Amino acid sequence: MKKKIVSAVLCVAMLSTMFAGCGKQNGGVVNKDGIKEFTAFFAVPGSEINDDNEIQQLIAEKTGCKVKESWLTGQTAEEAIGTLIAGGEYPDFVDAGNSSVQMYEAGALVPLDDYIDNYPNIKEFFTEQEWDALRQSDGHIYWIPQFSNIYGEERACVHNDEAFWIQARVLEWAGYPKVETLDEYFDLIESYNEANPTMEDGTENIPYTILCDDWRYFCLENAPQFLDGYPNDGSVIVDPDKLEIIDYNTTPTAKRYFQKLNEEYKKGIVDPESFTQTYDEYIAKISSGRVLGMVDQWWDFAYNGEDAIKAAGLDEQGCQYVPLPITIDKGMKNQWHNSGGVQNVSAGLAITTSCQDVEGALQFIDDLLGQDIHDLRFWGVEGEDYLVDDNGLYYRTPEMRKQASDTAYKASHLCTYSYFPQYIGTSRDGKNAMRAEEQEGEFFDGLSEPIKKCFEAYGVKTYVEMLGTTPAPGSWYPMYTYSSTLTTSTPGGVAWAKMGEIKHQYLPKVVMSEDFEQGWKEYMKVYKECKPEDFISEMQTELDRRMEEAAKYE
Amino acid sequence: MTKKKSFNMVDFKHQKVLIFWAAVITAYGFIFYYLPLVGWVMAFQNYKPVTGLLHSQFVGLEKFKLLFSDVAFLRVIRNTLAMGIINLVVTFVMAIVFAILLNEMASKGGKKVVQTISYLPHFLSWIIVTGILHDALSGTGIINTLLLHFGCISQPINFFAHERYFWPIVAFANVWKETGWNAIIYLAAITSIDPSLYEAAAIDGAGRWEKIKNVTLPGIKPTIMILLLMNVGNVLNAGFEIQYLLGNGLVQNVSQTIDIYVLKWGISQGDYSIGTAAGIFKSVVSIVLIVVFNNIAKRHGEERLF
Repeated sequence: MKKKIVSAVLCVAMLSTMFAGCGKQNGGVVNKDGIKEFTAFFAVPGSEINDDNEIQQLIAEKTGCKVKESWLTGQTAEEAIGTLIAGGEYPDFVDAGNSSVQMYEAGALVPLDDYIDNYPNIKEFFTEQEWDALRQSDGHIYWIPQFSNIYGEERACVHNDEAFWIQARVLEWAGYPKVETLDEYFDLIESYNEANPTMEDGTENIPYTILCDDWRYFCLENAPQFLDGYPNDGSVIVDPDKLEIIDYNTTPTAKRYFQKLNEEYKKGIVDPESFTQTYDEYIAKISSGRVLGMVDQWWDFAYNGEDAIKAAGLDEQGCQYVPLPITIDKGMKNQWHNSGGVQNVSAGLAITTSCQDVEGALQFIDDLLGQDIHDLRFWGVEGEDYLVDDNGLYYRTPEMRKQASDTAYKASHLCTYSYFPQYIGTSRDGKNAMRAEEQEGEFFDGLSEPIKKCFEAYGVKTYVEMLGTTPAPGSWYPMYTYSSTLTTSTPGGVAWAKMGEIKHQYLPKVVMSEDFEQGWKEYMKVYKECKPEDFISEMQTELDRRMEEAAKYE
Repeated sequence: MTKKKSFNMVDFKHQKVLIFWAAVITAYGFIFYYLPLVGWVMAFQNYKPVTGLLHSQFVGLEKFKLLFSDVAFLRVIRNTLAMGIINLVVTFVMAIVFAILLNEMASKGGKKVVQTISYLPHFLSWIIVTGILHDALSGTGIINTLLLHFGCISQPINFFAHERYFWPIVAFANVWKETGWNAIIYLAAITSIDPSLYEAAAIDGAGRWEKIKNVTLPGIKPTIMILLLMNVGNVLNAGFEIQYLLGNGLVQNVSQTIDIYVLKWGISQGDYSIGTAAGIFKSVVSIVLIVVFNNIAKRHGEERLF
């Protein structure tokens, strides 16, 4: 008898787990505390915060809403979104990254343009022209790009973009020389590594490493556009005078750049594991402080790699990174840093058709953009995470700064809702920055000694000043917001997909080749077989369209 | 000859539990194996999620034509077959050899310990196995350190950067992970061999080697045949996780399998039709392989599936 009962119980338990998946309800379900709960999926890797996160709770009390965020794990963004579409059930909020158009084409997103006028903070987020730029082929707006939106005066201290980075200790050793060209950059790394082959604790340096994992291979492939003095159009160069698309893969500069990498690879300066390492392995190397230099985007290594360097106390040994204004030849203008926000029209936060309470969801976005909630997100709780001085300026103590970069504290206390719309620049009070890292005083106090010394030696105050800054080149900028939405349904999209595949395979081969000329010739041969001209011509069409569109507002 | 029994209530009552479970299993098989086949329709359509199965445009065999004119697809077929066959041969032979060796061990306790340790890797997921491989084969990993130490090489080998190492690495990983597990069934088959056969062989003056050759191997031959048949059908399931996790841009020409192709074009690029077409191709080839090998087995009077 007993056995029967046990097996009956087990049966029920099994059945209930089977059906548990089916009972999921979406959209503004009100929990027992009277708080609406939404779900969100972001097609980027990220860290989940604790369920009882304190600031999330505070925001929930003020807005009546809470969002359970989940992130990409172990898949590519395209796979995750493709799977969602195939399944036909979505979380309430989604940022599908490059697959946003696929979500739109699958009819999974709710058009937002009819609602926007009712939400003042959302309405204020973009200008009329910027909102129009977001309209899809059917004339509706489906997503809100979250980032790079400057409120008031721009306050950039950190160069949140791509650069040739170098550790402060290398510059200090060489007496802070002027480094302007690719050759000078590698000469510096070589001579430093010869004089100091190891770190203070005896671990060997890795002079130069290249991240090449999946979509992050931009660290290898797109430097030629910057070396030629063009800004980050990402997939192509735009000639600003003739308004013509140029393919940066085949320029003489590209060849010189890869030849240089090839030489350095043979000399043992380029990390031999470059092309087979995963992103995690790369970050582990950066965190150890062994890597002297690399090309990368600041956001790609700063929040894990640099934070780990700080946590390990390696910042005092000068293991943090400074950007250098590298071009291919001397005396060229560089555009590693552009001022002004970049509206990435290709992706953003969207609300899906599975969401039962679209108004509630939009109200939450609207609330998040209000100044007091925005301060909670990016400064924290007053008195706990920051203090206010007599002039009304926010500041932090060294302890507060330290805990703000502590992983456990981030998970249990801080809640930035980092993939919801947000501002940079100056707060609505006209004094403070929208976020702690852009507050000048706060930024400078937070720097380690070696970085302060380095800035002093070069006579600059911020990372951005290390590079200098130029305004965005034109109203087409940036072109990558188009190329990243291409799918294989057009010839240009097919060419783009094939080019990516070929470059993933051949660029490492070229860098590792015994005979560079031979390797380059082979690469160029297969590259031409991808029909890059199809891609270029579609990009040209888009460039022309954007210029026409922009002319309407002049 | 027994007379064919007609249906009768008494039998039904006796067997009602069996009949109940048979019905449950049949329903399960129908729902999870046959019903999803409706999705095959996609391969003959220009499927778009927004129009669904019912309203997408039919394009006949166009997707298949596209598939077979794609050099990349022909390459993934080659890779899948190559890795499938290598894996089949290596893991199959290793499992039998391992089972026989284990059976020859005199110490009962030692046998148990070895067997347990050897099948444990089976329970690790591929993500962990590939993580271990990645570390072990890295420039500063144990393999390169050992090779350097014994002077076999002067520079660390970058195992994942060369196409020629990829298939052997995959085969090795499969052997390491599955040998112990696959050996279990052979060990079971060996224990069911009548001990008197061994005694008779010993009386005839057979040594260890002769006993293995003339008693053990013939004794487990039916098991070997059945497993071989079932595994032949799986040749095209050469794997997904391991190639997906170990592959990189440099070796993509040899690392991508049909499953990865389906994922890449079907899911990532959103062309569900071409993904389905590739999947159908794979299933059809597998069925053909099984039928062909089953017939060969039948002709030779061996154990077979159907």
